[in-house]
Amino acid sequence: MPYQLDNRPADLREQMYFPEIIRGIGAVTAHFLRNLFFTRDANPDILDRPRGLGKSDNVTIFYPEEKAPYPPGYRGLHRLVPRGDGLPRCVACYMCATACPAQCIYIEAGEYPGDPVEKYPVKFVIDELRCVVCGFCVEACPKDAIRMDTGEHAPPSYERDVQQLHEQALLRGPSVDYAGDPWLKRAAPSIPADKLAAMKAAATPYPADATDEYAQTPGFSVKALAAEARARSERGGR
Amino acid sequence: MKRFFGMSLALVILVGALMALSGLFYLAAAGLGWGFNVWFGEPGRVDPALVHYGASLANVLTLMMVVLMISGSLLTVAERKWSALLQNRVGANRIKVFGNPLGGIPYLAADALKMLTKEKMEPQAATRMLYELAPVMAFAPVFCLFAIVPVGPAIDLGSIFSGAAGAGQTIALQVAKMDAGLLFLFAISSLSVYGTSLAGWASNNKLALLGGVRASSQMISYEVSLGLSLVGAMMAYKSLQLDEIVVAQGQGVLGIAPAWGLLLQPVGFLIFFTSGFAETKRAPFDLPEGESEIVGYFLEYSGMKFGMFFLAEFLEIAIFAGVITAVFLGGWHPLPIAGATEWLRAHLHPLAFASVGGGIFLAKMIVLMWLQLTIRWLLPRFRYDQIQQLCWKILLPAALVNVFVTGAAILIDPSLQLLAGLGLLTMVVVAVLVGATGKGAAPAAAHAHGGGH
Ligand code: SF4
Ligand code: SF4
Repeated sequence: MPYQLDNRPADLREQMYFPEIIRGIGAVTAHFLRNLFFTRDANPDILDRPRGLGKSDNVTIFYPEEKAPYPPGYRGLHRLVPRGDGLPRCVACYMCATACPAQCIYIEAGEYPGDPVEKYPVKFVIDELRCVVCGFCVEACPKDAIRMDTGEHAPPSYERDVQQLHEQALLRGPSVDYAGDPWLKRAAPSIPADKLAAMKAAATPYPADATDEYAQTPGFSVKALAAEARARSERGGR
Repeated sequence: MKRFFGMSLALVILVGALMALSGLFYLAAAGLGWGFNVWFGEPGRVDPALVHYGASLANVLTLMMVVLMISGSLLTVAERKWSALLQNRVGANRIKVFGNPLGGIPYLAADALKMLTKEKMEPQAATRMLYELAPVMAFAPVFCLFAIVPVGPAIDLGSIFSGAAGAGQTIALQVAKMDAGLLFLFAISSLSVYGTSLAGWASNNKLALLGGVRASSQMISYEVSLGLSLVGAMMAYKSLQLDEIVVAQGQGVLGIAPAWGLLLQPVGFLIFFTSGFAETKRAPFDLPEGESEIVGYFLEYSGMKFGMFFLAEFLEIAIFAGVITAVFLGGWHPLPIAGATEWLRAHLHPLAFASVGGGIFLAKMIVLMWLQLTIRWLLPRFRYDQIQQLCWKILLPAALVNVFVTGAAILIDPSLQLLAGLGLLTMVVVAVLVGATGKGAAPAAAHAHGGGH
């Protein structure tokens, strides 16, 4: 709540009404003139915009042209995380489809030719219109193959089909490789040898606890947030 | 900073453009007045009536069609943009012409298109004739009110067409110079209540009927204080005609102060402003409409019929701005210094002087329209009993006291010095009341800015 209000009864001057109205006109006129004569600051962090004399008070963000970053942990559009060779990490295990309360994930499993072990999704469709954005699919996935870290929300569309994202549309974003990935460990034949070496070199160990690797929004850092919270409590601030 | 200089420049250009515009209006009035005399009169003789008709016709076209209609329709856009500026927003800017929102002005075209092409719905059981008549009844009286507003000073026709047949004839930017003057204002402005109450009754809808009843009771109540608040000004300037009232405001009182209505009649100004506000039926007096929760008298109207109610409201704003400018803000007197007008009249070409006067009048009108919109966005709506109490228990007695005090002051000192002194005293008292903070000033916003939380 931005204002602390004390519920005292109006004094005589306030009961006369007119003086307070004139004061009110003065107050809004100050805003009017500031906004009329000075340029709006385009900084998406509104609280960081400079205020005061000679500055516009305008708090608008021109939405489609300018975007404020979503808050940390924002669950945006899904993406299928690619491996280092550009193929999806997903092994078509149906865990996400099973966990999904809206039942909006449709998977058809297939096998890589010449690789009798590894499965992959031939079809992977998420109906964003039915999705309730709960994030259970992300939690359920044993392979960190589906994430909601795009920082985008479902775009508007005139057709329903557009909202049904297929594997081609879903497979995007930075690739992720873990040292424990089975296809790396056993050197899956579907991965060319030189690629395999590069992927192994880039692979990270499975994290023991939450790290920035699991951060949902680009540019967001769990560690930085924790440090900020610590600093705040040390200051005794709000 | 670029915007600061750009805006300042734009404001200066605006005032200049208004002056140029009123200069053109004078030329139109003079040309048509002179032309009427040449076309319809006997050659070699000047017929004052013909000159007058010609000038009036030109004024109808320029003042009512151009000034009033354009300011009325621009106000629909200005309401959005100005309210946005008051509330730290940007306002309507999504319609763009070549990527430029042009200050929201293209919304005018979009609004007109929407009003004209909307589906027309009519209640089946409506009283058909009255239903169709009501928007006209609401619109027409408001529209013709502007006829008595004197936008520019009267100048000699001979000074525009040197040696013309019309020398000795005066022309002014005023459609009708009526002896009844302000009485015409009261008579016609009270007619517009027929539009609203007919709309409520004829649309055969209980809610619309209630809206119409609310509208008529509110408007009839405020008629009374509206009329009484101007009685003081009528007595002080000894005239009912707005053009004579404006001329009378050029005299000096208390040294260099001009005898503007605001100085002589501050209480009258407040009462007139409030009552005029109630007459325009806009917040905080928008009980007849109450777009958001209570439904108004034009509930059953759609398309351009609704548009006429809507436009009538905005025209009323422009007209009240014009009347207040003429009666209280010195009309076309350019500077609030006694004698400045005479000095300008002596040193400028009559047409230039008149254009400056007309431009200043229009500029003052814009300021007053802005003030009305500001107050509309500043105050929440009154409750119905509060509206009636404000009118009958506060404004009406205050207006009566104002009439008596003004009368007594003029009786004691006919040169208006005493009245001006009283007015100055009132203004000082109001200023002290406004400046004095009560028990506690409004608490500052609790959020600190600049990050860190
Ligand atoms: S976010 Fe929830 S509803 Fe949406 S796909 Fe994942 S599990 Fe299903
Ligand atoms: S995204 Fe994850 S949980 Fe869903 S099928 Fe693929 S591997 Fe299994």
